[in-house]
Amino acid sequence: MTEVTTRTGRGNPPSAGRGRSQRGMWHAALWIGPAMVVMLFVFAYALVQLFTQSFKYQGEWTGWDNFRIVLTDPLFHTALAHNCELLLCVPVLIALALMLAIVLAETIKGHTWFRGVLFFPYILPVTVVGVVLGQLLTLNGAFNTALRDVGLNVLAQDWLGDPAIALWTMGGVIVWKEVGFGVVLFLARILSLPAETYEAASLDGAGFWRKHWSITLPQMTGVIAFYAVTEAIVMVSWVFNYVYIMTNGQGGPGDSTVVTELYIYRMAFADHSIELAAAAAVVLFALTLVLVVAFFRLQRKSLLAVVGE
Amino acid sequence: MRRTIRATALLGVAALALAACSSGSGTDTASSAAPTASASPTSTEPVTLTMSWWGDQEAPGAQKWLTAAITAYQAAHPNITIKETLQTTDGLIPNFEAAAAAKTPLDIQYFWGGIYAQQPGWNGNITPISDLLPADEIAHYTNAQMEDSYQGKVWVAPWYVNPSFPVLVNKDLLAKNGLTVPANWADFLKTCDTLSAKGITTIAGGVKDGWFGGWLYSILGAQSVSSQKQVLDAVVGNAKFTDPALADWWTRLQESQQHKCWNNDINSQELYQAQQLFVDGKAAMTVTAGPDAPNFATKAGGPSKIEVIAMPAWSDGPLAGKIASSSQTLGVVSWSQHKAEAAAFLMFLHSADQLQAWYDMTGSLPADDRFDLTQVTDPIKKALFSYGTDNVPYLENFIPAQLDSDAVFKNVQLVLKGTETGAQAAADMQAQMERLRTTDRNMVSNFTNWASSQ
Repeated sequence: MTEVTTRTGRGNPPSAGRGRSQRGMWHAALWIGPAMVVMLFVFAYALVQLFTQSFKYQGEWTGWDNFRIVLTDPLFHTALAHNCELLLCVPVLIALALMLAIVLAETIKGHTWFRGVLFFPYILPVTVVGVVLGQLLTLNGAFNTALRDVGLNVLAQDWLGDPAIALWTMGGVIVWKEVGFGVVLFLARILSLPAETYEAASLDGAGFWRKHWSITLPQMTGVIAFYAVTEAIVMVSWVFNYVYIMTNGQGGPGDSTVVTELYIYRMAFADHSIELAAAAAVVLFALTLVLVVAFFRLQRKSLLAVVGE
Repeated sequence: MRRTIRATALLGVAALALAACSSGSGTDTASSAAPTASASPTSTEPVTLTMSWWGDQEAPGAQKWLTAAITAYQAAHPNITIKETLQTTDGLIPNFEAAAAAKTPLDIQYFWGGIYAQQPGWNGNITPISDLLPADEIAHYTNAQMEDSYQGKVWVAPWYVNPSFPVLVNKDLLAKNGLTVPANWADFLKTCDTLSAKGITTIAGGVKDGWFGGWLYSILGAQSVSSQKQVLDAVVGNAKFTDPALADWWTRLQESQQHKCWNNDINSQELYQAQQLFVDGKAAMTVTAGPDAPNFATKAGGPSKIEVIAMPAWSDGPLAGKIASSSQTLGVVSWSQHKAEAAAFLMFLHSADQLQAWYDMTGSLPADDRFDLTQVTDPIKKALFSYGTDNVPYLENFIPAQLDSDAVFKNVQLVLKGTETGAQAAADMQAQMERLRTTDRNMVSNFTNWASSQ
């Protein structure tokens, strides 16, 4: 749109430019319209219903009552705390994905195969991952059996049955599944970087670490930030499937893996408190909105950086 | 960027404004079906009934029986077509809630008894079966009054009896280790000590999916109460779950953990997975669903090798040493367009031929006192059916389902892991109950009314 306005301003009479611009807008609206209608129906209607229910109880307006109950519910605090703890997986994901992407970029033989292997978990359905890993990680499952067979008995834990480590096991599974996405993103960016810079650095005597620390990393801040925000959104509002499948919808053992989405689900469909579920969902929506705004801000920054280049 | 933020803010404001202006759909109240109580199909027009049920996972053969029953009913009533859909254990309640919210075409729904039938009734999602069937018919249905009645109405029609829950004992395995079937709690703990010292699991269970926690609550917790009324009193706040009669079972559970009675991976095994240890001869005992117990015993070696007992008694309370009786049920949903036809089909399922066919195909007890018990000769079935007609309440069915999952399931996992004591578990159960009285604003009145019906 900026480009159109600039060209119009340079070469055409103002009235003709306005007409063309208006025609262009109608044209765009015609194309965007159907999708907008669907979006409004799916999202705006759902949002209206959500906000409506969050302020009502059995059809009666109750003001902030539902929010007061949810925000003072110890289980909601526990669920939110678990989401926050899962956010610690984001730096792990970034470091791991970056390291693997750099290694892959440097790998000459078999790099396509390695890329496939790393990306494979990302395309697996969460249900499959949850069921398979849920079985592998039982106390007497294949993972611990393998550890015991090689003499690492001390490492064989009740990964999903011990409340002290169950959330971190869940985090590990999420990292294993999500890291492939980061590797592909980072690798694409690394391969688009100009080779001349690296050649010049090599001539100046820079080694592996120096090159990637001083050349690769500074040029990847945009894509790293994008990945960080995307994964933060995953950890805050997209881990329900993992928890539901791997703990049979319990968030156990005890409350050790209850997350906000599971809290909302249980409130709505197990506890029959649809209005409290709506209030909790509004809180989660607000938290996610903060991340979404950060996401748009970073996306715009990255685009401006690309245009600037 | 500002535009993006402005647009997002506008969307939020618009949503709030619309929310404020929206009249809302309000709550659904139970459709007031005219109490016909006749149970004969009223329509000669083509009618399609949709039935959602749980399948035959605890009563193998139930699917075959239902298919035959539907075929027979459709032959007798050519204008009626019955479609059935299956639900999983985890999906049974949420899918019904979703169907009720969306008013998905549905006529007959499977419910577990007690609170699992009461709750949808309170939510207005069931038409009381007592409005649709004659009282003298319902009087024959096992456990209908004890579990499924509310203020003079009966919500659902019991289908088959679930003796809840028998303990199966491998006598051979015990004998090989110089042991006999434990007669009481002290015997049971000694059995655990002996077997665990030899690396053998005494009793197999899985609590990862939670359900077994509810079973343990009932078979251990019932031993120190005199009736379900005590539990209902604790729910409404007239007693506490930390009172000795309601809390001591947690200590017994802790003892079983300390004596290494259970398989060491109980927290990472699901209920049905863990029971396989017993079938495989790797555990001396397990707890099974009542209707499935005869099949289970057969798979594990038959009556010569397997004995059915109640959970060893740790108390001398009136319910100690007994197996509770609960009935799985079918109900007519409140938004059904064919309530009379649905009720007539449920009544057909209680006809003499169908009761006999149920027993023949599943080997379990139909929930109807017109079934001829004298024909049962198998010792395991005889023992189970005797318990099943004893009218002993199944405690899990008398607490809020939320308390079951938020306190019982959860704390059983923690006590069996050894990360929590029995006293801590009881305190948490009481705390969860107090929390639920806040989050479920109708709970106290619903449970008070229910208690007055008992």
